[in-house]
Amino acid sequence: MAATPTPLEVRNIKKRFGDTEVLKGLSLQAQKGDVITLIGASGSGKSTFLRCMNLLEQPDDGDLIVHGEPIRFKTTKHGREPEDWKQVVQMRAKLSMVFQSFNLWAHMTLLENIIEAPIHVLKKPKKEALEHAHALLDRVGLSARANAYPAQMSGGQQQRGAIARALAMDPEVMLFDEPTSALDPELVGDVLKVMHGLAEEGRTMVVVTHEMSFARDVSSQVIYLHQGLVEEAGPPDQVLGNPQSPRLQQFLAPKY
Amino acid sequence: MIDLQGYGPRLIEGAGVTIQLAVLSLILAIILGLLTATAKMSRNWFLRRTATVYTTLIRGVPDLVLMMLLFFGGQIGVNAISDMLYYNYEIDIYINFNAFAAGVLTIGFIFGAYMGETFRGAFMAVDNGQIEAGKAYGMSSSLVFRRIRFPQMMRHALPGLSNNWMVLLKTTALVSVIGLTDMVRVAAEASRATHEPFTFLLPVAVVYLLIASVSEWIFARLQKRYDIGFGGQ
Repeated sequence: MAATPTPLEVRNIKKRFGDTEVLKGLSLQAQKGDVITLIGASGSGKSTFLRCMNLLEQPDDGDLIVHGEPIRFKTTKHGREPEDWKQVVQMRAKLSMVFQSFNLWAHMTLLENIIEAPIHVLKKPKKEALEHAHALLDRVGLSARANAYPAQMSGGQQQRGAIARALAMDPEVMLFDEPTSALDPELVGDVLKVMHGLAEEGRTMVVVTHEMSFARDVSSQVIYLHQGLVEEAGPPDQVLGNPQSPRLQQFLAPKY
Repeated sequence: MIDLQGYGPRLIEGAGVTIQLAVLSLILAIILGLLTATAKMSRNWFLRRTATVYTTLIRGVPDLVLMMLLFFGGQIGVNAISDMLYYNYEIDIYINFNAFAAGVLTIGFIFGAYMGETFRGAFMAVDNGQIEAGKAYGMSSSLVFRRIRFPQMMRHALPGLSNNWMVLLKTTALVSVIGLTDMVRVAAEASRATHEPFTFLLPVAVVYLLIASVSEWIFARLQKRYDIGFGGQ
């Protein structure tokens, strides 16, 4: 066994919304430095799967192990729930998420957004949090916008800001939920460039995306989901370069 | 200058009672309102039901009736308890059900129901993505409430809150029926004694207007403060 525990492992995750079973038993293991991309048509369950990883969605079945620590569940009349929400809160602080619609806190400046969780969740001293935040803003090219409110920023700036907010947590694993889907095409490049940089420096990432070039260039593993099941998975040159299933072939085929 | 015929100090005292009553009731109403809103959005059936009964009851019964019920009913209740203590344990106490406390309790209780609706709407207006971001960054629910839900909810709640406050302020005039000497009661007494109603009621109206204007200014400031980041700066 390696000295450091696996940052994130999920086993056999199942989830239903009403009568529809959206996840039919999905597993994934992210070792340190892995970049795992989840691809698939809309409705394939990829975003729900990602949201089960930090329990924004409660899986009906399956195991979740973060940094070697299994999350404990219990069954109540409302369904399956975490046994100890404190454990969940601690777990979430290790996984930071980047959302499709950015979700920067609207009532705070960009800088305040970045230092919020480090100060109030990780209990970092304010001075240290500010120094880290400025370094991160510099890194994502937003030093000039530190005191802007999210509503005053473009979508691409907001998403880069959201990535800085995620990095400020020094996360074990970063979860990206279609980070470029809500952006104007000309703004996608800047965000992808930042994500490329993160992959290169060995960040562990799980990315739900429609950007096939990103999946091809940076991922260590690509997982193609179809109707809540893994249809094909493996290294990108295998899954994207030589797809086996007709469905994936069709998914990857040029649309026009 | 108007000749208040010696009623001046009592009127000022009465104005003090009005303001204290209004501010304390507001605080109680806000606390009850937040609790009611939370209960109404809870997934616990019993809490939801209790909150609904509370708001329905309060909004359906006249303020004056509630006030008398609570004041006279409260005194009867307190008397029953002290009687029971005396007969069973020979503890001899007499508690006078305080009219001021009864006033604050009743008005706070009434407006808590209205505040509850205001807050519930305001909480529901907060974008869920904002709350999810808080959860995803390891915030406990109380931290999410303090740092995200409450500050973002306030900008939606303030218009209703300020409205409720204005009505609450004027409702305090009802407390004279339970024997509290607010400025309306002093003015009414003075008018009867001197047969000069305008001399006393006009200053009272001006004081109400003054309080209302100051509060409007305060609420405008608050609105500005909570609109920051939402295109309001």
